[in-house]
Amino acid sequence: MSRLGVVFGPLVSGSTYRRWVYLLLGAALLFFYLAIELTVNTVLHQQLPGLPYLIVTPLLFVLPPVLTAFLSAVRIVEAAAVRALLGLSFTVPTGGGYSWEVRWRTATWYVLHLLLGGVAAAAALFAVPIGIGFLLTPLADVPVLDVGVARWTLQHGWSSAWIPLLGVTLIVSAIYLGAGLGVVLMRAVPALLGPTPSERVAELERQATLLAERNRLARELHDSVGHALTITTIQAGAARRVLATDPEFADRALLAIEEAGRAALADLDHVLGLLREASTSTAPQPTLDELPQLLATTRSAGVTVHEELAGELSSVPLAVSREAYRIVQEGLTNALRHAGKVPVTLRIAVLLGNLELELVNPLGTAGGADRDGGGRGLAGMRERVTVLRGRFSAGAEDGQWRVCVRLPLRAGA
Amino acid sequence: MTTTVVLVDDEDLIRTGLRAIIDAEPDLCVVGECTDGAEVAAVVARLRPDVVLMDVRMSAVDGIQATQHLVSTMQSPPKVLVVTTFENDDYVYDALRAGASGFLLKRARPAEIVQAVRTVANGDSLLFPAAIRGLAAHRTPHRDTALRGVQLTDREAEVLRLIAKGMSNAEIAEQFVVSVETVKTHVGNVLTKLGARDRTQAVITAYESGFITPG
Repeated sequence: MSRLGVVFGPLVSGSTYRRWVYLLLGAALLFFYLAIELTVNTVLHQQLPGLPYLIVTPLLFVLPPVLTAFLSAVRIVEAAAVRALLGLSFTVPTGGGYSWEVRWRTATWYVLHLLLGGVAAAAALFAVPIGIGFLLTPLADVPVLDVGVARWTLQHGWSSAWIPLLGVTLIVSAIYLGAGLGVVLMRAVPALLGPTPSERVAELERQATLLAERNRLARELHDSVGHALTITTIQAGAARRVLATDPEFADRALLAIEEAGRAALADLDHVLGLLREASTSTAPQPTLDELPQLLATTRSAGVTVHEELAGELSSVPLAVSREAYRIVQEGLTNALRHAGKVPVTLRIAVLLGNLELELVNPLGTAGGADRDGGGRGLAGMRERVTVLRGRFSAGAEDGQWRVCVRLPLRAGA
Repeated sequence: MTTTVVLVDDEDLIRTGLRAIIDAEPDLCVVGECTDGAEVAAVVARLRPDVVLMDVRMSAVDGIQATQHLVSTMQSPPKVLVVTTFENDDYVYDALRAGASGFLLKRARPAEIVQAVRTVANGDSLLFPAAIRGLAAHRTPHRDTALRGVQLTDREAEVLRLIAKGMSNAEIAEQFVVSVETVKTHVGNVLTKLGARDRTQAVITAYESGFITPG
């Protein structure tokens, strides 16, 4: 079975045909370049005298694909196609600029993709029609062996039985060729498309930072919960010991236990919230530092925004700053969606250890029914604010829609 | 006779809890409290307690420094019982090396807490011998330092090993079929030869020097 599987497996394996699709994508691009270039070349041939034509023509054929190959987007597109069609999983860092090293590698890959695609497509264009023709010879009135450049008339009967077999062989060989070229490409993926050594290092560093951050959170959790449990244990032990003789102490001890437990739960909430946030987002999320860009975008959409910012917004902890940014972003989007292009007033202040955020806009003509659409967004905001141990309110008041948020700057506050 | 205790901990709720637990015993009495290692010397000099319950981790002066200070500057320092949240705390062993007579987990049961205070106060047996051995096992002994030039007799060496196992004088006497007085003499000789203040210090020295292998 296994030997047969090795030999015939590629014929029935889906991966072979996905590789074919990938190769044909390259071929399609290649033929597209060729079609344009050949057309332009015809014009040039008529218009340009000898020597300039000889200089320009090679450039004409080489430059367009090579220039495309150096676009940074090529890597992302190729990586996605390779993942989906060649079935390789690897990570390509997104965002940020690409170094020339990366561009050269990607360009090489792109050209390789085009060339191998071209080879595969040419083989298919040759083998498949001819192979089908051979297959069908027994059905023809006058069997003819036609390979394009030459043509033989055949005899009826078993003496020509090898012709359909040759047809099958041609088609099958073409399929194997695609599978083989696919393997060649897959071998080249790590060197040409996968992460470069410096990207690997950067990725490892990113993971190390993430790990260090998680360790810090774990340590904080251990400290704060350990502390609360220690107090709980000692106070409970003491209360039990003096329950009969000093009920007043026992009462105070129970209160201390209750408060320690509550504080520990709040700390758990906070840290788990941070962990969840860290796990759901790999890209850095915008903070209040990016607020000016957000407001500029909103204004360019035709919304008038009055901003009143007070206090050191840059000193706000990252988690709080990120959340505040998201609330402003969602609030502005909601205002535009539900009330239309009404003027919005945004107030943000750092006051007494809290970040106070207020977003006010007149209710739109659309009325209250449309409000429900924003409900899920509001629930999400409320949940995240609660995780950060803040306060959240949103509602209509005197014809105005008002979102009020208070986020404590310190986790323990 | 009442054993007097001073509590040192920067957390109010730990002190009130420990005080309630200790004061509930007729033979024990908390006579003073400190919130930091920096205050301990003055309070101890004034109140002359038998035992100091010392938190290891404190913000200004930690339990190790405070213990070292007490033991090195006072004529007859109180026994120091180091109190810790975590069992595998490097600080605990450092505190024992600095001169503490034993350590106590904050999660210990009230009965264990008061028993630990009594054990340290009377000094007749080692507190939590297994835990001390565990702590010592994590450290590399400095073989050539502590016991150089110390000549223990075979009997004294044997007594030291039994002390490390946590045996009291009475138990050692029973094992050797000698009188408790004889054991006391041996123990006294061991402590003198090792320059140790109490059994805990002698055992730490024995582990540190490699005389006894922990683990």
